[in-house]
Amino acid sequence: MKVILLRFGELFLKGANRKVFERALVKNIKDKLSGLGYSFQETFGRYVISKFREEDLDELVDKLKTVFGLHSLSIAEELEATPEAIREFVSKINIGKKTFKVSVKRADKHFPISSMEFSKDLGGIIFHNTQDAVVDLYHPQIEVCVDIRFNNKAYVYTDTIMCQGGLPLGTSGDALLLLSGGIDSPVAGYMMAKRGLNLEALHFHSYPYTSEQAKEKVLTLAKKLGKYCGKIKLHIISFTKVQEEIHKNCAPEFMITIMRRIMMRVAERICEKNKLGAIITGESLGQVASQTMQSITVTNAVLKEKPVFRPCLGMDKEEIIAISNKIDCFETSILPYEDCCTVFLPKNPVIKPTIGHCLKEESFLNVEELVEYALSSEEIVEI
Amino acid sequence: MIYLDNAATTKMDESLIEVYKSFSCDKFFNASAGYSVALKNAKQLEEAKQILLKKLNANSGDIIFTACATESNNLAIQGSVKNGNWEYIFSKGEHPSVYNIAKMLEEQGQKVYYINLQKNGEIDYNQLEKLINEKTRLVSTMFVSNETGAINDINRIVNIIKGKNKRTIIHVDGVQGFCKIPISLSKTQIDLFSISAHKFHGPKGVGALYVRNKALLKPLLYGGGQEFNLRSGTENLAGIMAMVRECERIDILKNLENVRKLREQFLSNIDLNMVNYISTESPYIISLNFPGVNGETLMRALEDKVIIGTGSACSSKKAGNRILEAMGFTKEYAKQSVRVSFNAYQTESEIVEAAKIIMQVYKDLYERLK
Repeated sequence: MKVILLRFGELFLKGANRKVFERALVKNIKDKLSGLGYSFQETFGRYVISKFREEDLDELVDKLKTVFGLHSLSIAEELEATPEAIREFVSKINIGKKTFKVSVKRADKHFPISSMEFSKDLGGIIFHNTQDAVVDLYHPQIEVCVDIRFNNKAYVYTDTIMCQGGLPLGTSGDALLLLSGGIDSPVAGYMMAKRGLNLEALHFHSYPYTSEQAKEKVLTLAKKLGKYCGKIKLHIISFTKVQEEIHKNCAPEFMITIMRRIMMRVAERICEKNKLGAIITGESLGQVASQTMQSITVTNAVLKEKPVFRPCLGMDKEEIIAISNKIDCFETSILPYEDCCTVFLPKNPVIKPTIGHCLKEESFLNVEELVEYALSSEEIVEI
Repeated sequence: MIYLDNAATTKMDESLIEVYKSFSCDKFFNASAGYSVALKNAKQLEEAKQILLKKLNANSGDIIFTACATESNNLAIQGSVKNGNWEYIFSKGEHPSVYNIAKMLEEQGQKVYYINLQKNGEIDYNQLEKLINEKTRLVSTMFVSNETGAINDINRIVNIIKGKNKRTIIHVDGVQGFCKIPISLSKTQIDLFSISAHKFHGPKGVGALYVRNKALLKPLLYGGGQEFNLRSGTENLAGIMAMVRECERIDILKNLENVRKLREQFLSNIDLNMVNYISTESPYIISLNFPGVNGETLMRALEDKVIIGTGSACSSKKAGNRILEAMGFTKEYAKQSVRVSFNAYQTESEIVEAAKIIMQVYKDLYERLK
């Protein structure tokens, strides 16, 4: 019977909590595969998906490849774990004109033949049955793997497909991703979701200075992230008035700095209201004026409690773009719609702001009122 | 909501639904088939061509129906490309459906030249004259600019070109002029002229190309050999009949008179101490400049009440305005520009109201952004 054999990532490192992680992983897998017919079986150290329709195989594999916490999968033949059954199946394998090796793994040591012996035995059968096959133990073109598990089953396969790795979604808690519409923020969200964080997202728009298309673009990005992260609750905040007030009352070079300090305050309030444990941003150190060490210091300083996770901080743009492409966000991210950070953009934004400077500029504003005003514009979209 | 983006598209006249229905559900037969009901449709198609030729004041040449002006432009230009050492000339003011063909030809290694625009949006006629030589295969310039309403002096262009090389093919993108500004193809040696139905209250998905000499053109689509072998594919008879019905109904001079009044009323309700506009010939289109406010921002701030454009809808996703910049305006000026375009059936009172709303919203934005 053809099955999909699933291996999980670093869950095996977990001690007493392993069950919690496994339960989350199983639930996430089942959520992802909902609507498809299959049977799911847990064996020690592996999950097995079977009894699916042949035409669903590609869709099953595609979906499983997006589940965080899965290390890899193989499309395998499930056999009774007896030497005879395995030999019989292997005898039908035709390698063609290729180099190969056989690797036997026995999780269940009750199997009567040692792994090494059985590998040689099966290799001999394949070699005998295939005229042009050549054994190569170091760099084989085909590796025939035989995995003998505790459920009295053996799994034979030749390919291993890598999955996302990481930790099951939700096992690290819930966090709020600041989603601008650019390249970096979806990547940051993906990276933290991979470490088990469930995402909600926050987008600031500045209509009519920014367009409806800019907002649509963020909805598209959230949808694309959803392929990996499941449903995303997107909080959309109008930032028009806040930006106009800063523009009117503060020094132009502080426009972005003060704006980001207010964004962080709004973000923390949304975290508190929605029980979210952290803020995620796509900042990359030194990429633009607002992402220097000093700028990050002053934006971080407004937060009372919540940590900010910045997984792109140490990455080059090229590295970020590579991930953006991998998660299919790049083409959307580069659509040329202005986001609220490009509206009122000063010619010379401050690169090394100090908290003292920021407090002075903010003294010209009623910050609390602006935060409240922004929060009152909140629109929520479940994607 | 007052719609002032008629250069992007116009509302289809509702009565055309009946025409469309009649040729889709009743007389739906393939005009290329051999039985008599189909032959009747073939005859209708022929009459439709005559109606367009009459509207173009053309006493020779043919009409080839297409799916849109973009297709007409592609057929006209790509269909005229010939092997050998030839030169192709385009104006810098062309719509993307011409301009991007020029770019493509350039990438293919063809010799392509671009004519500059004058400050009033018309092409630089002197430069055109200098560029024409015995190798010039084709010149493509538009009749009326979709961005500014500038009207190129087509007679002058034809005289310049044919005076230096009688064999040069002249293509005119007539989309914003056809059924709006009078043109007589019998008095001028234009070889190819593109039109589009939805710009004059006809249906979308229907265009046509006037062709003086079919022998000069090669098809882009191969198939059943419809449209003199130049545009294979079953003719969209329902769309074509709806287009020509609208075309017949239009009184160009009367409409022109009405739109002139609309334009005057509009401009007299705009504070021209604050707002700049480009003085051009077609009353259907005005390019306005609002200092201190991004054109797109103004467009969005207005959209619940008045709909205006920020230039060609076909290029509005791209940053900047190539054409205003080609006319010598700064990037900044271009960014602060919008396009207002009328149709002949609008009333003076709604135009006055629209102008007032535009001024009010602009002043408000100006204050907020100051």
